[in-house]
Amino acid sequence: MASRLLTRSTAARLLSHLRSSGALSPTHHHHHHLDNGAALASLLGLGRGGLPAAAGPWSPRDPPTRWFSSPATVAEAPMTADGLTVDSIAGKGWTILPEAESDWRSHAAAVAQSVKLIKKRLKWGWILERSRQLSVVLERPDLWDDPVFAGKVSREHGELMGKIKSVNQFEQELMEHIDMLRLAREEDDNELETETMRALAEMRRSAKEKELNALLSGDNDSCSCFIEVQAGAGGTESMDWAAMVMNMYSSWAQRRGYTVSIIEEMPGEIAGIKRATIKVDGEYAFGYAKAEVGVHRLVRISPFDSGKRRHTSFAAVAVVPILGDGSTRYQIKDSDLRIERFRSGGPGGQHANCTESAVRIVHIPTGITATCQNERSQHMNKASAMAVLQSRLDQLEIARQAQMNADHTQSLSEISWGNQIRSYVLHPYRMVKDLRTNYEVSDPDSVLNGDLDDFILNFLSTSLDEAD
Amino acid sequence: MLASAAAAVGVAALLPGRLKPKPTPRLLKRLATASSSASTPPSPRSGGAGVEAEADTTPLFLRPAAHPVAAASLAAFRRRAAELVPDSAPHLHRHLRWLLADAAARDAGADPALLRAPLGDLESLWLRHVRDRRPFQYVVGNEHWRDLVVAVREGVLIPRPETEAVVDMVAKVQGFEAGWWADLGTGSGAIAVAVARMLGPEGRVFATDVSEVAIDVARLNVQRYGMQDKVEIRHGSWFEPLEDLKGKLMGVISNPPYIPTEDLPGLQPEVGWHEPKLALDGGKDGLEHLLHLCEGLSSVLKPGGFFVFETNGNKQSEFLVDFIQTKWDSSFRDVEAVLDFADIKRFVTGYRR
Repeated sequence: MASRLLTRSTAARLLSHLRSSGALSPTHHHHHHLDNGAALASLLGLGRGGLPAAAGPWSPRDPPTRWFSSPATVAEAPMTADGLTVDSIAGKGWTILPEAESDWRSHAAAVAQSVKLIKKRLKWGWILERSRQLSVVLERPDLWDDPVFAGKVSREHGELMGKIKSVNQFEQELMEHIDMLRLAREEDDNELETETMRALAEMRRSAKEKELNALLSGDNDSCSCFIEVQAGAGGTESMDWAAMVMNMYSSWAQRRGYTVSIIEEMPGEIAGIKRATIKVDGEYAFGYAKAEVGVHRLVRISPFDSGKRRHTSFAAVAVVPILGDGSTRYQIKDSDLRIERFRSGGPGGQHANCTESAVRIVHIPTGITATCQNERSQHMNKASAMAVLQSRLDQLEIARQAQMNADHTQSLSEISWGNQIRSYVLHPYRMVKDLRTNYEVSDPDSVLNGDLDDFILNFLSTSLDEAD
Repeated sequence: MLASAAAAVGVAALLPGRLKPKPTPRLLKRLATASSSASTPPSPRSGGAGVEAEADTTPLFLRPAAHPVAAASLAAFRRRAAELVPDSAPHLHRHLRWLLADAAARDAGADPALLRAPLGDLESLWLRHVRDRRPFQYVVGNEHWRDLVVAVREGVLIPRPETEAVVDMVAKVQGFEAGWWADLGTGSGAIAVAVARMLGPEGRVFATDVSEVAIDVARLNVQRYGMQDKVEIRHGSWFEPLEDLKGKLMGVISNPPYIPTEDLPGLQPEVGWHEPKLALDGGKDGLEHLLHLCEGLSSVLKPGGFFVFETNGNKQSEFLVDFIQTKWDSSFRDVEAVLDFADIKRFVTGYRR
């Protein structure tokens, strides 16, 4: 019971994370870097008694579950000369034909549908309302009395306005192309009509990219990540399954062009792994991989069972974003160092002839030391000792990060064994089914070899698109 | 270890411009006009009897390795030399190791080994070092200082490890790399070379010394590091050679003689018996030259210019800080004493207003 409740809160946290806002890229580049705005929830909780009464009836800590379009919103929507809008185009029920068909209604309907989906994924009503609230705050005369608060509000408002402007510009572009096409037909301008039709087709492709970008608009989605796998109960069979899962992710990451390195691995007694962590280096690694968090279930005849019975095994998966630059270089502060050199005990300087050049450096917070005496000058010995100390502290930092990952994985295993997300059945039939989306394929081998994108994208779009 | 060290020295000798020697800057001021070379005062214990003057003034580590010595003979020398080391001076074993590293070319393990001096000369050098307390740096002809190997010889002050910090202070001055700097009493030229190597295309160092021996050694070190275009060596006393640079210098650096005359008899034998008095004797209270330097500072530095003087320590530096602040408060700002690695107030620094 308790673990079930915890599982729900874990799922709630995951969905809450997936709902975090991100920027919609106006460019056509698939992996264009998206701005990661500050988390809305953290700003909602700012300690100035929250937002003014103008914030409306919703609790500041929870995004509203439904939005109502205001007349102003409708009035602001881009439209064609004869009053068409994205919403009205989507409502017309025009047939969407393949992209190669030169039918402007088909293209317009496809783009309009994409825009509606993008808005849903960005939680459009929410960001409109939120930006209005922030505008009210920004107009307060005493705002900059608290520069930290003012800076936060200003930044969040800027980020939201960036997204709103980006989507509105895209809609405006669609409206202009429709008007231009009609004008071309009225004027019997075949060249203009061809150009405009091509532009509309291009907008369809661009819209599809923007749909995908909107799935990866969370605060940390553009980060690299660690993927951690831990074997469930069941001994050797589970450890073997955990190793298969880890290999699946390594293959998936390499297919996507990410750099994969093994950070930590605890081998099983007979086969497989008890736990392992890989680092997946590349843009949006976390954005995609976060869809894999949870428990993966395997059903097969175990190769470790001499009785050839069918076994069910579990492996837990956690995904952690790598924030900042991912560097493991420890920053040494001079004030944390004690540098010890030979002292004659006397007045020193010109009074003494000294050939003692050994230098010892102590890093006071950790107690780590480095001594060098190979060089014949104190200056050079100090430089050598510093290099040794830096290396030792870097190793300490890497170990500390690995420990943090291990703690996270351990925590996950306690609360998530009930959070099954996917079943891999090898016997008596063959199937992989995602329990969250019901998406399934009948070729487990390709999935275990890293063909995971369809599962990931289905989950990302389902979890975002089901909202409200 | 020894072989690779010898190889490094060999390579260093072949590529003077790319060496990593450690030069030491020292101030040498004559109390009176003297003959061209200042000889080492005879030590009370040696009395001069039986001590032969060195025919070759080239530092040992820079001489060509032209003396073949059988490995067995070299091993025998090593044993005899080690036996001379008293129990009270274990650091001499390290000196012996370094001596052989500097004296042998590339491969000290070769048979025969090629030495930079006849084996008999090495014996004599070692004996004088152990018995007469002749500084090890004079034995091998160099001192490792910062990332340099500075050539030194009798008559030139050996660079001190405390002085290494002066170069770091210079590097902290805003725009130092484009400035003109003066190293007064440059001695071996160590500070001048170290600073020159950090400068940009417009930076310059003017190195002055009253001692002709020091001028010769400084010139050698400047050439070894290829700093001829950046370091101009001028012979003369303190500011006298810098008349044309008044008001133009970004910085003045000096490690003048600062030991009170009355303290000279109590100096460590390596220092008192062998290093040049001209570079050590600071006069009454050790302040004679320091006060002279303070007098001339304001006219040579440009506004915002920096100065750093090495001193005898806490009492002397505190006096100087107070003296400068009292007498020249309108000329200098941020005058303060700076600690060395032994937490002694070794340096006085400040800026021209």
